[in-house]
Amino acid sequence: MNKILKDPLLWIFLIFSAYPFMPYIGSFISLGSELLLWFVFALGFNLCLGQTGLPSFGHGAFFGMGSYAAAISFLRLFNHDAFVMPILAGIVLGAAAAALLGWLIREKKGVYFAMLTVAFTQVCFGIAFRWDEVTGGEAGLSGVLRGAFFGLPMNNPIVFYYFCFLVFIVCAVIIRKISRSCFGLSLQSVRQNPLRSQYLGYNIGLYKFSVYTISGGFAGLAGALYCLLTQSAYADVLDWSKSGDVVMATLLGGGTVSFYGPILGSLIFVICKNLISSMWVHWALLYGLSFVIILSFFPTGLMGIVKKKRNLEPRLRGNAPAQEQTRREEP
Amino acid sequence: MLELSLFLNGIVLGLIYAAVALGFSLVLGVSGVINFSHGITFTFGAYFFLTMFKTVGYIPAMILSPLCVALVGFIVERLIIRRVYGQDPLFGLLITLGFTIAMEELIRMIYGPATQNINAPSFANGVVIFGDLLYSQYRLFIAAVATLMIAFAWIFTEKTRFGAVVKAGMFDNEMVSALGHNLYRLRVVIMVVGSFMAGLSGILSAPIWGVKPGMGAAILMPSFVVVLIGGLGSIPGTLIGGLLVGVTLSMGTLVAPRFVDIMPYLLMGVVVYFRPRGLMGQHNIVE
Repeated sequence: MNKILKDPLLWIFLIFSAYPFMPYIGSFISLGSELLLWFVFALGFNLCLGQTGLPSFGHGAFFGMGSYAAAISFLRLFNHDAFVMPILAGIVLGAAAAALLGWLIREKKGVYFAMLTVAFTQVCFGIAFRWDEVTGGEAGLSGVLRGAFFGLPMNNPIVFYYFCFLVFIVCAVIIRKISRSCFGLSLQSVRQNPLRSQYLGYNIGLYKFSVYTISGGFAGLAGALYCLLTQSAYADVLDWSKSGDVVMATLLGGGTVSFYGPILGSLIFVICKNLISSMWVHWALLYGLSFVIILSFFPTGLMGIVKKKRNLEPRLRGNAPAQEQTRREEP
Repeated sequence: MLELSLFLNGIVLGLIYAAVALGFSLVLGVSGVINFSHGITFTFGAYFFLTMFKTVGYIPAMILSPLCVALVGFIVERLIIRRVYGQDPLFGLLITLGFTIAMEELIRMIYGPATQNINAPSFANGVVIFGDLLYSQYRLFIAAVATLMIAFAWIFTEKTRFGAVVKAGMFDNEMVSALGHNLYRLRVVIMVVGSFMAGLSGILSAPIWGVKPGMGAAILMPSFVVVLIGGLGSIPGTLIGGLLVGVTLSMGTLVAPRFVDIMPYLLMGVVVYFRPRGLMGQHNIVE
């Protein structure tokens, strides 16, 4: 019982279960839903970055594909009346795209990996932006309605919020299970010393491929929820600079040192982005500078500052597979 | 005739891409940093030129503004990129991306978001006639300057002692510093030279595409592809990659005008699938 009470995830769940009833912030209910889907996105992404050390810049593409899959399946396949199927379509397309890319680049390392994921994102953007017949081109797709789900009216923002909340609970628990399982530990060994894990008999290409696919599935799910939240899908979310958002949110919170980092990071990131962009036209100036400041002074993110006292090494130092003396404290 | 002039346009375009990609490729090769701020140096070149050329004249501005851009490159290396050496590639990518976003917005604040036009200089403002083909003098001028830049860079790395150190730095960073060469100085010099070339390319392409805040982002992605096709750190490879991408983009409009943007990526996919290091890439530090 004591162990359960000390579980940070439980406290996060408790706080967010009361979100719509909070003073002031509770009135921005769509912000709450956006936060929850960002949590799913960032936690899934952190399976790649924090757990396996894959510098992926392609998750924006999977997110965008998820949102297009949801919109297209809603508008074309299910004739404007479905709720669960578009979400499933988002997961499937996100995972499939990630599987394709992951299979092609499973043997690549470091800079090449990052560059090829950027290129992939750009291809997806090009297709979404130009293929007018399917994706609506520049204008995107709109008119996605949230139908009923087991009789619950999803077009009510509070009901939709709780749906997102449910999805977040399930995903957070699954992702934590994955990262603590044998599979997750093998992923960590791939990150810490790829060569040694290869000698120990692990097929690291296969591990990278599988984690990339899983992570892409979560990104697709988040994208599908985003499509349902904004009731539209447009090519802008696929732009390569948008892929930086999730990486930034994860690093800001300290996804490289802690499982909960991505949640903290995307919480701050999404709120700041919404707040600053509503106050100043040239918010991108501050946005860009914050990248520079955070990465130069707090490369391990907020959780890194918290954990510094416990003398934990940051997980992402150096290209060389240096020996890691300190063990990462598992959640 | 249309095909021929498109082909020539592609060559000119490719030379610009190659000139921009060269700096990107050298920085990546020597420092292991994916330098997204390379696009903004291209933009800076054009905007510095826009500010200067009315007061100092065309040719002096064309020499002065790349020098200013080189100074910007120097400052960026000192203040920003230096912090991420030896770290995960995402750090370098994000920190330079953040800088790019901020600077693009700064330019938008100062000059406004609209596209501004610069006329081609009076000495190259006509057409050349080859048989029944009319071709813009200015594009030939671009081709000449870009070729000169690339040739200089090529001679520099192949024939000078410093160039040998650069090449060695791409092969084995640690050994180069162990042999007593100042690796940090090497990285700064490469960054400055790369920024100079990108800035000059920005000026050259300004009369064709106009000067706008997003011009750097528009050139960054093709040069990215050029580097992956040509092979990291290889100057002849970058030249070939640039020409391939330029001609693909230009001739692609005849085949499928709407999907011309993604053709270079497909080309890249094919090249990287069969030759993972690119056409002329060799073993290097980022592997």
